[in-house]
Amino acid sequence: MFSEQAAPTAQGLLAPPSAEPPTFPRVPVSGYSDCSQPFQLGERSFSRQYAHIYAVRLAGMRPGLEQRARSRWGSDVALRKLSELQAGEKCCVVGTLFKAMQLQPSILQEISEEHNLVPQPPLPKYIQPSDELILEDELQRIKLEGAIDVQRLVTGTILAVYGAEQDDGRFLAEDHCFADLPPPLPWNGPSSDRFVLLASGLGLGSVSGEALLSTQLLVDLVTGQLGAEGEQSFAAHIARVILAGNLLSQNTQSRDTINKAKYLTKKTQAASVEAVKMLDEILLQLCTSVPVDVMPGEFDPTNYTLPQQPLHRCMLPLASAYATLRLVTNPYQANLDGVRFLGTSGQNISDIFKYSSMDDYLEILEWTLLAGHISPTAPDTLGCYPFYKSDPFILTECPHVYFCGNAPHFQSKLLQGKEGQRVLLVTVPDFSATQTACLVNLRDLTCQPITFSSFGADSED
Amino acid sequence: VTYKWLSYTLGVHVNQAKQMLYDYVERKRKENSGAQLHVTYLVAGNLLQNGHTCHKVAVVREDKLEAMKSKLSTIASVHVYSIQKALLKDSSPLYNTDYDIVKTNLQHCSKFSAILCAAAVRRTPPDAPRAPASAQSPQRQRDPDAAGAVNGHGPPAAKPPPQQHKGIMGMFAAKAAAKPQDTHKEAKAEAKEAPGVSAASSKPPTKNNIMSNFFGKAAMNKLKVSSVPEQPKEEKEVVKPSVAAAEPESSPNTVAEKPGKKPESARIQQKDKKSKTKRADRSDDEEERDPENVKKKRKRIKQLQSDSSDEEDVPPSPTPEEEKTPSPPPVPALKTELEPASTEGSAGGRKRKRKRVLKSKMFIDEEEGCMGKTG
Repeated sequence: MFSEQAAPTAQGLLAPPSAEPPTFPRVPVSGYSDCSQPFQLGERSFSRQYAHIYAVRLAGMRPGLEQRARSRWGSDVALRKLSELQAGEKCCVVGTLFKAMQLQPSILQEISEEHNLVPQPPLPKYIQPSDELILEDELQRIKLEGAIDVQRLVTGTILAVYGAEQDDGRFLAEDHCFADLPPPLPWNGPSSDRFVLLASGLGLGSVSGEALLSTQLLVDLVTGQLGAEGEQSFAAHIARVILAGNLLSQNTQSRDTINKAKYLTKKTQAASVEAVKMLDEILLQLCTSVPVDVMPGEFDPTNYTLPQQPLHRCMLPLASAYATLRLVTNPYQANLDGVRFLGTSGQNISDIFKYSSMDDYLEILEWTLLAGHISPTAPDTLGCYPFYKSDPFILTECPHVYFCGNAPHFQSKLLQGKEGQRVLLVTVPDFSATQTACLVNLRDLTCQPITFSSFGADSED
Repeated sequence: VTYKWLSYTLGVHVNQAKQMLYDYVERKRKENSGAQLHVTYLVAGNLLQNGHTCHKVAVVREDKLEAMKSKLSTIASVHVYSIQKALLKDSSPLYNTDYDIVKTNLQHCSKFSAILCAAAVRRTPPDAPRAPASAQSPQRQRDPDAAGAVNGHGPPAAKPPPQQHKGIMGMFAAKAAAKPQDTHKEAKAEAKEAPGVSAASSKPPTKNNIMSNFFGKAAMNKLKVSSVPEQPKEEKEVVKPSVAAAEPESSPNTVAEKPGKKPESARIQQKDKKSKTKRADRSDDEEERDPENVKKKRKRIKQLQSDSSDEEDVPPSPTPEEEKTPSPPPVPALKTELEPASTEGSAGGRKRKRKRVLKSKMFIDEEEGCMGKTG
């Protein structure tokens, strides 16, 4: 993308100083609108139980699922509720999945004194062959077995199962289906090349400083200081930068200060303070040149439950002076130049990764899109706000770009749907580990990774 | 020496800096002067990796330049990144140089860049005193109409900054160091608290009043006596903007006040206008505080009036003030000012005199309070 057109003037700067060098104006962003209102919580009250989310989720997704079931198994298929099941009758049931996992960390086990168990250390995956699937609807639950991949599915998914109830009270499933891709959005993409840079996992405040030069190179590239003229003119086409979470590194989470006595921790500053100052400076450099959207992530100073609320602007005094800085929520949705972006900082995907046999982040991303829900494990294993009116994580419209941050490496795929949906799935890699960011071309929905490297004490790559 | 450092130090475009470095290297090498220069280059291009083309940007040492160039299938750009006398073991000195120079130039970090963003305008004026440069620089190529599309802050924010800048710059020139800095800090601190309020309130029209109000506050130091008669005028002016911002109900009071105090106002106004520009930044500060304090002040004033007490601080008075306020002493001062304005209506000279006494005392206290706090 960059490179081909930039090549002719590549060596241009290996020359004596020329006359006034050209400056390129940045592409103006027309048509930006923030669609993440459902993720912004106003007054928060935690006095409600989480059961309401499941009820609302089921109610919200049931119509769509019933429609899919009919189109798949015939329009005369019997749609039953669990309470209406009769043994031996082939029918279709819509409900919420629950996966009973033995290894799932449970707070009750941890505090149970009879067992005297040491709390389970965090494992990369909690799946086990003995896991079982149970289908629940509003009133009842029934055990599922049959042609259904227990390992792959996670708790909280709404699906339709086609099969029959056995005599022993279990439901033998022959087939199942998800909500599938939501209805497509009209495409109003730009006609000329416009790019959006996606980066995540800047990881500031970490002990090692190797990624710092790469971060600086990234900022320089975007602000137009790096590169020859051709490259700079292309960097001017970057219309927006989206930082998808984990701006601070895990090292800034100094939890032990809570346990230590006050007199020991009085003079020490939380590591995140320095990191936030550094973040502010970097954001300031970016904001003077390009609109930036900052999403909080797992290690950022905001609430833990999903949807994470935007970082507060008092933490970024220098950068928030600029109108180009936008602090946004964690699942973030916006219309950029007619292209709908939807993405998270990766907590939902990594949570599904832990409880499912799916290993590939891109595969999980695609699966959440097909299941019609951004984060099905939300109240169960991932913190979530107790919604009761509606579940904002249900996908009602198909985005054009669906991304998740903090993935182990970069992957992208263009998904074509049956109803003409075109979705670009992008897993944005963790910058502090891979020094890679992604550039999405809005015109044709392609994505290119950009890697930065510097030379270290050992041989460079 | 990196190209960025050179660009900031010499004040040239980054591309020119890169070319200068290249030129220097070539010349030195031709001269064969013997001093070994180590050069690092920046190479960027496409690389085939894992089945897809990946754009790679790398800083490489000179000896590895050719190797890197051959690895890339297409080269997008090559230029000199930095020159140094000693061989660099790793890239941290490069990063540190850049970091330091950027830190000292944080406000204009995009001035020498090759890309200029029309949308990057600063937000509300309270932030303006620190560095009016970037947003107002002549580099703006396009009107922030595009910026307006981006967010609503652009256009309204653009208007007040120019006026305030002039006022503030004049003020900078005129005023001594300590006060402006203190009020800057306060302005900054309060900018966060009351951006909503001040932005909501009609800033341009109320600015004059604010400035005159500030004049009143600051003048205490210099002209204790002459400032006293000005105080009521100022305070009224204070009341006007803050009231306009915060409480509609007080405006009828101030309006009633105005005709009563006209003769004095005429005299005072001239003085006000003269030093208007000087007090702009303090006015910012005051203005921030005003909206919050007005409500409390008014209650307190009532109390004061009824007590007719001469106490400087008003500890017995009810709580609302105590809770908040950046500086409790100014509150009582302004309170007394507002007294006549808000409640009594056209009080006349008698109350004025009483206020005068009160005010002067108050001001002294306030002064001390201010100095104690910020000094």
